[in-house]
Amino acid sequence: MARPGNKIIQAKLVLLGDMGTGKTSLVLRFIKGQFYDHQEPTIGAAFFTQILSLTEATVKFDIWDTAGQERYHSLAPMYYRGAAAAVVVYDISSTDTFNRAKKWVQELHRQGNQNLVMALVGNKSDLNSHREVEAEEAEQFAQESGMFYMETSAKTAQNINELFYEIAKRLARISPPRSSGITLNHETPDKRRRFCCIG
Amino acid sequence: MERRRIDDYEPGPVPSPRAVDKFGFVKQEQTGSPEGAIKSRMTLKEWSKSVSTLLINLYNFLFAVDINIFREERRVRKWRKMIGVGGSDWKHYVRRRPQVVKRRVRKGIPDCLRGLVWQLISGSRDLLLMNPGVYERHGPGQRSLYNVLKAYSVYDRDVGYVQGMGFLAGLLLLYMSEEDAFWLMVALLKGAVHAPMEGLYQVGLPLVQQYLFQFDHLVREHLPKLGEHFTKEMINPSMYASQWFITVFSYSFPFHLALRIWDVFLFEGVKIVFKVGLALLKYCHDDLVKLPFEKLIHALRNFPEHAMDPDTLLPMAYSIKVSRRLEELKHEYERKNEKSVQSVESNGKELQ
Ligand SMILES: Nc1nc2c(ncn2[C@@H]2O[C@H](COP(=O)(O)OP(=O)(O)O)[C@@H](O)[C@H]2O)c(=O)[nH]1
Ligand SMILES: [Mg+2]
Repeated sequence: MARPGNKIIQAKLVLLGDMGTGKTSLVLRFIKGQFYDHQEPTIGAAFFTQILSLTEATVKFDIWDTAGQERYHSLAPMYYRGAAAAVVVYDISSTDTFNRAKKWVQELHRQGNQNLVMALVGNKSDLNSHREVEAEEAEQFAQESGMFYMETSAKTAQNINELFYEIAKRLARISPPRSSGITLNHETPDKRRRFCCIG
Repeated sequence: MERRRIDDYEPGPVPSPRAVDKFGFVKQEQTGSPEGAIKSRMTLKEWSKSVSTLLINLYNFLFAVDINIFREERRVRKWRKMIGVGGSDWKHYVRRRPQVVKRRVRKGIPDCLRGLVWQLISGSRDLLLMNPGVYERHGPGQRSLYNVLKAYSVYDRDVGYVQGMGFLAGLLLLYMSEEDAFWLMVALLKGAVHAPMEGLYQVGLPLVQQYLFQFDHLVREHLPKLGEHFTKEMINPSMYASQWFITVFSYSFPFHLALRIWDVFLFEGVKIVFKVGLALLKYCHDDLVKLPFEKLIHALRNFPEHAMDPDTLLPMAYSIKVSRRLEELKHEYERKNEKSVQSVESNGKELQ
């Protein structure tokens, strides 16, 4: 759990991106260290929690893994509203999914949360031989959009922990400085802002 | 109840040809002889005691099997009479004695007749008979699920294929052929007997939104304390109930419970989904009201085993009355929607 004298950040994180890009697989790799070749599709959305301890803070992630199919779009705002971090995922072996990722980024920008930590993730880096989206192109798009970029593989576990550590670090940096030692549990429930940062 | 006793009982070394459960799965037989179980340290008294316990258990077990098989056979006979040969008497029976049919459906349709009865009560049988040759097979039979979904997406291009449909089709395919499953999907989505379900899968998921609105209100009305707790913890039904509606409990619920819900769903329509949802919340109420956000979400997506026992949950669900309120809430939702549509048009802005 929390280290003494360490600030605790409660952060809602949402995963967006086309179906089949590996959102659920990314989360399961991060949380359980497992990967399935036949991951069953997500209906509506799935919810996970995970705690990451950094030296500067302990981050408690509330993770919403959304169903990526276009048809489920109307449910998505429910999940990204009030999020502290958003991970937009595409599949490096499919240009279509990259285009869809761009649409998600635009939609997030329209929401106008200045403090939102955004990551653009090119997943399935193990499928390099089938690559359709060049890293440079994605990197550039990410920079223009105020996001950081990473290529991951849920299959080989490449960059999965790095991704979530990077998000945690950025959250710690922007969360309002406060005297240390305040933990979530001490706050009254109705005062609590669960979807944002608590420092 | 009897069934549970059988399932729990380990037949041990006694060969018991009837030790299969309702779905025909043979219970794992214990290897090793009776002597093997008798440790050398056992005294004669202990040994005779253990043998008599074994015999008592055996009698109990056989008795329970007998009772169970006897009841099951009687139930199947009643159902066969009600259906008639190939379903010929069904409509007549339903018209004459709807209450009897409803009561029997609520007790669960016998597994050996489930496939046929599902087709009868959904109205898909008639659709199939009236549309010979519309369903075309795509590719070899092993890819049943793909074939049915593909056929549906071709048949209904507006709806197409949507994640979630696969769970419906998968459940149906356990009990009927591809073509029958296809027509049952058509009957449900296009509304052969009950209100059409296609709105669950159309752009914007309009029916999911409506159901979530209705469910939210019902929770507050039936379980006010929990409703307040949800407000405080900022929980709304889209966080846990959307897949209940989208897949009619066929996603991430135990199979035997899903089947029992489907029996009633096909006969009585979607209101059973609301009832079962409310019953689950009611059953777990005292635990749920104590939980903070994260634990609460987790609990709402992973109900404990004992909450999902059909013989406890379903009677509870049946006792919850929702029909009238569902109707009223539907109108309320439509009025609310009309207003917001108008305001969107006048603002020229998109409203999510
Ligand atoms: N080769 C490869 N396959 C992956 C990777 N991540 C996910 N998959 C596969 O891609 C499919 C879709 O994954 P899923 O996590 O369900 O995607 P989601 O719809 O975005 O949640 C599954 O068959 C996964 O096994 C990856 O990094 N590499
Ligand atoms: Mg998924």
